[in-house]
Amino acid sequence: MDLIISKIPQLLEGAVVTMQLTVVAVVFGMILGLFLALGRLSKNAVVDKICWFYIWIFRGTPLLMQIFFFYYALPLALGKTFSFGAMTAAFIALSLNSGAYLAEIIRAAIQSIDKGQMEASKALGMSYGQAMRRIIVPQSYRRLIPPVGNEVIALLKDSALVSSIGMSELMRTTTQISNATASAVIYLPSAALYLIMTSLFTFVFERLEKKYSVYE
Amino acid sequence: MGRMISVEKVYKSFGTLEVLKDINLEVQQGEVLCIIGPSGSGKSTLLRCLNHLEVITSGKIMIEDDLLAEKLDGKNQFKIAHKKISEICTELGMVFQRFNLFPHMTVLQNIIEAPVSVKKLSKAEAVAYAMELLKMVGLEDKKDEYPARLSGGQQQRVAIARALAMKPKIMLFDEPTSALDPELVGEVLEVMKKLARGGMTMVVVTHEMGFAKEVGSRVIFMDKGEISEEGTPEAIFSNPKNERTRAFLQKVL
Repeated sequence: MDLIISKIPQLLEGAVVTMQLTVVAVVFGMILGLFLALGRLSKNAVVDKICWFYIWIFRGTPLLMQIFFFYYALPLALGKTFSFGAMTAAFIALSLNSGAYLAEIIRAAIQSIDKGQMEASKALGMSYGQAMRRIIVPQSYRRLIPPVGNEVIALLKDSALVSSIGMSELMRTTTQISNATASAVIYLPSAALYLIMTSLFTFVFERLEKKYSVYE
Repeated sequence: MGRMISVEKVYKSFGTLEVLKDINLEVQQGEVLCIIGPSGSGKSTLLRCLNHLEVITSGKIMIEDDLLAEKLDGKNQFKIAHKKISEICTELGMVFQRFNLFPHMTVLQNIIEAPVSVKKLSKAEAVAYAMELLKMVGLEDKKDEYPARLSGGQQQRVAIARALAMKPKIMLFDEPTSALDPELVGEVLEVMKKLARGGMTMVVVTHEMGFAKEVGSRVIFMDKGEISEEGTPEAIFSNPKNERTRAFLQKVL
């Protein structure tokens, strides 16, 4: 017990890194995902294909491989003149990966909006962009929230993969403590911290869902 | 009196299905043109071509003096020079069968959205006019409700107010009462009659023969993508010349 208590600050530091990774990847992933989704819905076949290809690559290869790619392979390919730190490589890989998943979630949500909404917008003289921004995308928020909540929780747990490039997030911190103390008991408070973090996101997403349900 | 809409030799196909064949039509200012006919006859498609929700395959459509579309075998004859299609379309208000109100906005927000974002009216101006329109359709007290809390008839009246907020010169109605419970049809028709009496140019696709008889200045009967009969309501309803018109009216009257 003393062991656990004495290591709590270290675990918390790891948890903070995990949270940072998750939040950054979700924020950038949502922005990227929105553009990819709009690209997939675009009438321009080239734009559609490019976005399809991006999603195909990032959903179709292991996240761990993508993390290695940005940390080891890309700097090598670029001639060793620069390299990402583990932090940057982790942020990039997680953001680009979650962007691909979120793109499909956003696309499905946008496509689920009744097409009469776009027609009504056009009949009122709105441009495609105005209709998307003011009418279609805002209506998709509520439908986005449950699957995005899933994605965020999956992402939070997947962020443990960046321990493989030496980032001291919660998983790696836990493993290190376990190795140093020759005891597995530290995994218990670590698991509890993961649960607390995922519960926090669950709570936030439930509140958001309520907030966007007022009009239904 | 001026010509508001002119449709010349318009054809429209969806793939190999020809839904409009050689449609020729003019609508004068202040006229209430009612389009009737069996389902699948192309009436809604014709209406949707008038505000560019559907693009014609060939022919020519003018809104006032502006060219909305001129095509030959699906290709543009020439670029529309002086006005954008979206600008021309703001001259036409459209009311849909399924209302298509914006569910995430209150009644008032629904009405002021386009005036503010498209016409760049100040919010105060837009709200003032919206309140006038809500009074006209009898729904002032519902301004802060979301559409889902309103009855179908109330939603359709809001949709009419929303279309009018853009100060269109022409109003298009696509079976505005077909999705309504029977007891709610009257309140929507009342608003439409009010508009017609106020001199609004209207094109109404409808199954409400009573409305067509009472308010219509001209009635078109469409069948299989063609205008098969055209005339005053009296002529069409009491003395239809076309066999198909007669058969249709026998079924619905």
